[in-house]
Amino acid sequence: MNMHRAFARRGSKAKWWVLIAIVVLAIAPFILSEFYLSILCEALMMSLLALSFNMLFGYMGQLSFGQAAFYGMGGYTVALLITKLHFNFWLSLLAAVAVAGLLGGIIGFFCVRLRGIYFSILTLAFGQLLFFIVYKWHDFTGGDDGIQGVFPPDYLKSPVIYYFFILLVFLGVVFLLWRLVNSPFGKIMQGMRDNAVRTEFLGINIARYQLIAFVIAAAIAGLAGAVWVPFYRSVAPFYLMWIKSGEPVMASIMGGPATFFGPILGMFIMTFFHAWILGFTHFWPVIMGALILVVIFFLPGGILGFAQGRMTNRRKKGPPSKG
Amino acid sequence: MSLDVLFNQFMSGIARGALLFLVASGLSLTFGVLRVLNFAHGSLYMLGAFLSYSIWKHLLIPVVGFYVATIIAALLIAAIGLVIELFLLRRLYSRGWPEQLLATYAVVLIITDAVKWGWGGEFLSIPRPKPFTGAVLLFDFPFPSYNFFIILLGLGLVVFLWWLVYRTRLGDIIRAAAHDREMVSALGIPIPWLFTWIFVLGSLIAGLSGAVSAPYGAIALGMDIDIIIECFAVVLIGGMGSLPGTLLGSFIVGQVYAFGIMIKPELALANIFIVMAVVLIIRPWGIFGKPER
Repeated sequence: MNMHRAFARRGSKAKWWVLIAIVVLAIAPFILSEFYLSILCEALMMSLLALSFNMLFGYMGQLSFGQAAFYGMGGYTVALLITKLHFNFWLSLLAAVAVAGLLGGIIGFFCVRLRGIYFSILTLAFGQLLFFIVYKWHDFTGGDDGIQGVFPPDYLKSPVIYYFFILLVFLGVVFLLWRLVNSPFGKIMQGMRDNAVRTEFLGINIARYQLIAFVIAAAIAGLAGAVWVPFYRSVAPFYLMWIKSGEPVMASIMGGPATFFGPILGMFIMTFFHAWILGFTHFWPVIMGALILVVIFFLPGGILGFAQGRMTNRRKKGPPSKG
Repeated sequence: MSLDVLFNQFMSGIARGALLFLVASGLSLTFGVLRVLNFAHGSLYMLGAFLSYSIWKHLLIPVVGFYVATIIAALLIAAIGLVIELFLLRRLYSRGWPEQLLATYAVVLIITDAVKWGWGGEFLSIPRPKPFTGAVLLFDFPFPSYNFFIILLGLGLVVFLWWLVYRTRLGDIIRAAAHDREMVSALGIPIPWLFTWIFVLGSLIAGLSGAVSAPYGAIALGMDIDIIIECFAVVLIGGMGSLPGTLLGSFIVGQVYAFGIMIKPELALANIFIVMAVVLIIRPWGIFGKPER
């Protein structure tokens, strides 16, 4: 679990990878077709969802199975404010973050009392509760029809320009999260993961810190959903559903939950693979299920975790670890 | 609101609670012994319902066709449970619970698509079998007699599980293994064997409850996640791995649902979560649960 520490030590090398990634992302809209550009936008915003999930899971040891509910609530807040009240775009985004954060506070208040699998179940239950409310409240949310015609302001209507807006949001949040997990607050999160009792003996109020982390993660997920929906022009209850919440879990496990960038890598692979495979078949869940099993059995630690483990071993010239 | 209406609602809550107990007891038993939360338990329940429908349709045996189909479906689901345990879970006991949860989640996704592929997305139903086709009058209100069948089956399972866990040698081993797995293993009990059969028993219960749920409600895609979330609520309220807890949790959730539907149908599910939240504030490990070691 201390792979991200190894990662921090090799910070200079990571910096080059990050730089290459940013350059690729900056020229991508001029190379990709419009279809794959929208997939890229989705991958970026879903990566923020995955990062918000992994901030709780990889760094704090709490597996949330309801993270997509905040993503969806962010999207719905923006959609409702823009279509029903013709609210200002930027204020709508702000409101979406506030709504997601507030819901995170209420739901987190109950969830942070629990550990391990109990936490997962309760987040799943609350996520499904929000899903059902959105799904059944037809007069207000449009029920299973969702909400169409969510347009960004005119100066953001071009897909390429909106893409750069999405990229800026993505890079900004990644930077802030990177700072956060390497701050004293991040160390407290990792302390709670590794040994909650010892951390408590250091005088740290575990419930309060977990609640703060939960609210931050919810707000990030809400922002990601809020920024994505005006690009896609519509929102549907599916965004809040358990199957959507499974995607960040899957992406983190696939990319490597013990690494900072693993969830992004996992989400990119999943989103593009999904877009590609839909050209052949609609049976995506079974493929995703098989993919999960392959990663669990053959890539313990995820792709980045596995690769880093091997690199560390080669450098040490020790025996390869079992992961 | 008159008393007979309330009693009628109470009885339908009992029936719903009985069905929930049928499903949740298998989930709770598996968790209590294996310490693995089987996300796919609801999927096995759904698959049991679909399988029993197809078997019932092909057999076309008069009168007992439904019961025969139910038993065959339950046995088939038990066999699927055997495969899942041997090829999947067995390799994961040494890993962390997130991997175990995710592996069973993968099974959820695979079964969802298998059902979609095999039966399509339409609603199916099985008519109520004899002799439970009619309704009984409870204070002038018709109450489906099939609900009594479910209640009886639930009570039967309570008695069977109580006998199994508290009155047999296997039950001694089950309770000991839930308490200290290593010690049981050191005493010469083959733990992998125990885990396999408990998982198969849990799957059998899931398949059986899915099959008997078919005449009670509709058979449809999505019934897997609906039931598993309610079962999670049951075991969180009652305490995971506890038999009396599962019974009490099923009763509470069944009643909350039945009376919630009477007041405002859209919020029936929300009420369950409110009750769950209140219980968890007072007792984070459920009413009969024990704190994690």
